[in-house]
Amino acid sequence: MKRWASVFLMLLLSVSLLVAGCSQSASKTGGAAEGEKSAGAGDGKPVEIDFWYALGGKNGKKIEEMVQKFNETHKDIVVKPAYQGDYYQNHAKVLSAITAGNQPDVTMVEAGVVGTFANAKALEDLGPYAKEMETKYIPGLMGNSYWKDKLYAVPFNRSTPLLYVNKDKLKEAGLDPAGPKTWDELIEYSRKLTKKEGDKTKTYGFSTPIDIWFYEALVFQNGGSILSEDGKQLAINNEAGKAPIKLWTSMVKEGIMKNPPGEKYNAWDVAKQDFLNGQVAMIFTSTGDLQALESNAKFDVGTAFLPAGKTYGAPTGGANLVVLAKSSDAKKKAAWEFIQWMTDTPQTIDWSLASGYMPATTEAVESKQMQDVYKERPNLKVAVDQLEYAKARPMVPGYKELQEVIMAELQRAMLGQATPDEAIAAVEKKAEKILKK
Amino acid sequence: MYPLRLYVFKTIEWLLLLAVALLFVFPFLWMALTAFKTLPEVFRFPPTFLPESWQIQNFAVAWKSGPFLTYLVNSLFVALSILVLQLFTAVPAAYAFARYKFKGRNVLFGLTLIALMIPPQVIFLPIYVFMSEWNLVNTLWSLILPYGASAFGIFLLRQAFMQVPDEVIEAARLDNASEWKIMWKVMVPMAKPVLVTFGLFSFIYHWNDYFWPLIMTNNEQVRTLPIGVAMMKSSEGDTLWHVIMAGNMILVVPILIIFFFAQRHIINAFVYQSK
Amino acid sequence: MQNEAVAKPEIEMLESAHAQAWPQQKPAWGRWETIRPYAYVTPALLFFALFFFYPIGYVMYLSFHDWSLLNLEAKEWVGFANFTELFQEQDFYQVVINTGLFTVLTVALGIGLAFLLALWLNRKAKIYGIIQGTIFSPHIISLVSVSMLWMWMMDPQYGLLNAVLEALGLPAYTWLSDTKSALLSLVLVSVWKVVGYNTIVFIAGLQSIPRDIYEAAELDRSSRIKTLYKITVPMLSPTIFFLLVINTISSFQVFDTIAIMTQGGPVSSTNMLVYYIYEQGMDFFNGGIASAASVILLGLVGLLTLVHFAFMSRRVHYR
Repeated sequence: MKRWASVFLMLLLSVSLLVAGCSQSASKTGGAAEGEKSAGAGDGKPVEIDFWYALGGKNGKKIEEMVQKFNETHKDIVVKPAYQGDYYQNHAKVLSAITAGNQPDVTMVEAGVVGTFANAKALEDLGPYAKEMETKYIPGLMGNSYWKDKLYAVPFNRSTPLLYVNKDKLKEAGLDPAGPKTWDELIEYSRKLTKKEGDKTKTYGFSTPIDIWFYEALVFQNGGSILSEDGKQLAINNEAGKAPIKLWTSMVKEGIMKNPPGEKYNAWDVAKQDFLNGQVAMIFTSTGDLQALESNAKFDVGTAFLPAGKTYGAPTGGANLVVLAKSSDAKKKAAWEFIQWMTDTPQTIDWSLASGYMPATTEAVESKQMQDVYKERPNLKVAVDQLEYAKARPMVPGYKELQEVIMAELQRAMLGQATPDEAIAAVEKKAEKILKK
Repeated sequence: MYPLRLYVFKTIEWLLLLAVALLFVFPFLWMALTAFKTLPEVFRFPPTFLPESWQIQNFAVAWKSGPFLTYLVNSLFVALSILVLQLFTAVPAAYAFARYKFKGRNVLFGLTLIALMIPPQVIFLPIYVFMSEWNLVNTLWSLILPYGASAFGIFLLRQAFMQVPDEVIEAARLDNASEWKIMWKVMVPMAKPVLVTFGLFSFIYHWNDYFWPLIMTNNEQVRTLPIGVAMMKSSEGDTLWHVIMAGNMILVVPILIIFFFAQRHIINAFVYQSK
Repeated sequence: MQNEAVAKPEIEMLESAHAQAWPQQKPAWGRWETIRPYAYVTPALLFFALFFFYPIGYVMYLSFHDWSLLNLEAKEWVGFANFTELFQEQDFYQVVINTGLFTVLTVALGIGLAFLLALWLNRKAKIYGIIQGTIFSPHIISLVSVSMLWMWMMDPQYGLLNAVLEALGLPAYTWLSDTKSALLSLVLVSVWKVVGYNTIVFIAGLQSIPRDIYEAAELDRSSRIKTLYKITVPMLSPTIFFLLVINTISSFQVFDTIAIMTQGGPVSSTNMLVYYIYEQGMDFFNGGIASAASVILLGLVGLLTLVHFAFMSRRVHYR
């Protein structure tokens, strides 16, 4: 026994030492030993840049595929993609990596926190690289690209929230398969779609993750905004700020809306899963989920604008690509080339078709290819059309933290532990300190 | 006592034993069963017990969902390097604490005992900060070096060395063996059971570790298996429980196999501290 | 396992015998002989100094500064401001309460159940050994897998646990999805993981109680219950105390289960100290707050350690 164990250990050790020896030397390039020389500056070797992304599943696979294509067509640059988990995890990783000096050269940053990173001087001013060519992007997607009048980010996987409906169920219930147009209709539809068996609900009419993004949408729809114009004050202590909570809590109480359990993106997964399984007839989720939902659903999926309050309204979302300030000049140049390629018309069309995210350039939307697809798949076009009513997400350094505070309070209200007034008051109490930062 | 009563009593006890065993075995079994199902079957309620058809390819899907070979190699490399390093630091220290009397011994041994009690979770922040100042974050070094010395190992080996009879050492000294040689050639072989015990403890602990690599690594070249498995829960799209469970099997089964063969040693290793 | 349990006093005698026998013989190597023990302990102590004692000092230093991971160079001395801010923070109290509640429940249940199991399973027959091994097995499995497995089983909609409840005609439980049940669910997972370890430790303790004490009790015709709390419990008190300290310290540092299963939610109902430190330090740019919280945690663990050592040195003269 003893001998067996020690022989086994030695064997394992020597094998793994051997293999790890190789992988260790490989990891160095992506790791800490960077910046000694500005790699590849003129010596003929390709410039290596690290690119961190935050989409898993099919969309993640597509990103890897696009990077591979870039590498094949650009012999002087090697992009090394690395998946870092969801947006939250990626942000934490980028932040800590900046300290460690092994930050990536390019990363996805969720639209609402571009300001946080820019303000911390973590991002490279892209103006000198872009030289005004950023006008090629859809103007409605550029709201989260500037910080203090400087360009820091270009739109990549951009989205707006959409209402997804199970058309089969709507038809069955004798409702317009185009979906509800207003909050009142949303309630009415949900009532008709909810099916109970005894005291168990078999189908809920509606479900949405209690996420800041949808809350923003509903606030916008009532003419409100999350922060004051100058970004220094919280602006939700009013009817526009409370109405979304009242709507959701009353629908949950009535049993026609399901509050999907789970923290952060776990709740999104639950909502989508419920939708696919027919346990929920309508959900809010990102346009970026379109491809996955359409291909997995066994029913007819429809998309629509988020139902209107006083007006239609939605935040834009998804992530932008940024270049990090700490990288070497050669890497920055390569990084710019890379993000420009990733968001250029041919690639952005390819990406949009594969995922459901919006194309980033005006030229792409207007291209014949896209227009033909839109005729064939109207679902894909809804997000682009909704841009007309869309606003950028708030963009102040503290918003990264503030949005989690708001979400926690929303959740508290949803679980019946606080009235809408109390929840908003609690947010306000914390917001002051956070917004001062 | 009546034989009948005894019989009934025994039956009840056996049933209870079975229930307890199920409570601890069934979750693992459920992991394995889920790993063989299809996605639609996973999302059926009430669930099926045995998979309708055994989906062996789930394991291939899990394995290919990330660079699992790299994860596996990193995990082995890190856990074994730590073990080797810990042995090389612990043996001389334990020998000195067990066999010499020197000024400050009690204080130094006391410091070691403090290190035994305080978990690294408490001080990860400063370690991260200066690891990053040394440019070590995101290298395998950052996973290995902080665990270079094991207070538990020193403690364990010291006990073992103290139990080696004097005559053995005297004999070695008469042969003119150097202290260094006595330590490695006489003491260490005599402490072999304890070494195996400690080795298993250290290996299992670091094989399983999630917290430290989570803090210290950010690309797949240096990630270990627990991180790779935890990342399988993707944020966009479905939660593919069948594939996730298959991935977890990769993490769990090696340890269960080792446990099966070396149960006594492992239990010893983990329980030793209490003595 | 039993044969290694040499009684402590014996070790001590052995030790002092060596200690006296050795330095006497001072051969020609002279000075090296006095340095040698220091040279032997140096490598290990260097690691401790670098990765243990220095960080402890450094985190204290950092806790008096306003800093974030992004502007480490620009840290600013703020005195006790981080601590006062922490103590004004509603969330921090929530975190401390959660940690306390989690610890008390995990430790009480983990040790209580283990004690009963140990009394039951401390037999010779093979089947008891097998059961001991079985209940121990979760202890050596990665918390990542344990967390994911339980998260799956606790899924409110498709999970095994609710299926079982339904089959028994009971209503479905909310598990991780409600503020009232999430913490309890984490306690359940932790107890499941640790109870086998505690049981085995208890069994080792039980086996070290000399048989003749029980025989004497039998002669006295003491009732079983009386024997239990007149003899077994007092004789086990060192074991109980050891488990209390070890379990408490490991409950304080819970992180993996939270990070994977709940991320502190819903509504911070499962946010606990180490996760809070991680969030503040690595996610929210609040390095000062995070290091102040670290110092508080360090204080708690340090206090427990001191109590532990004090107890140990009263029981057996340690060195």
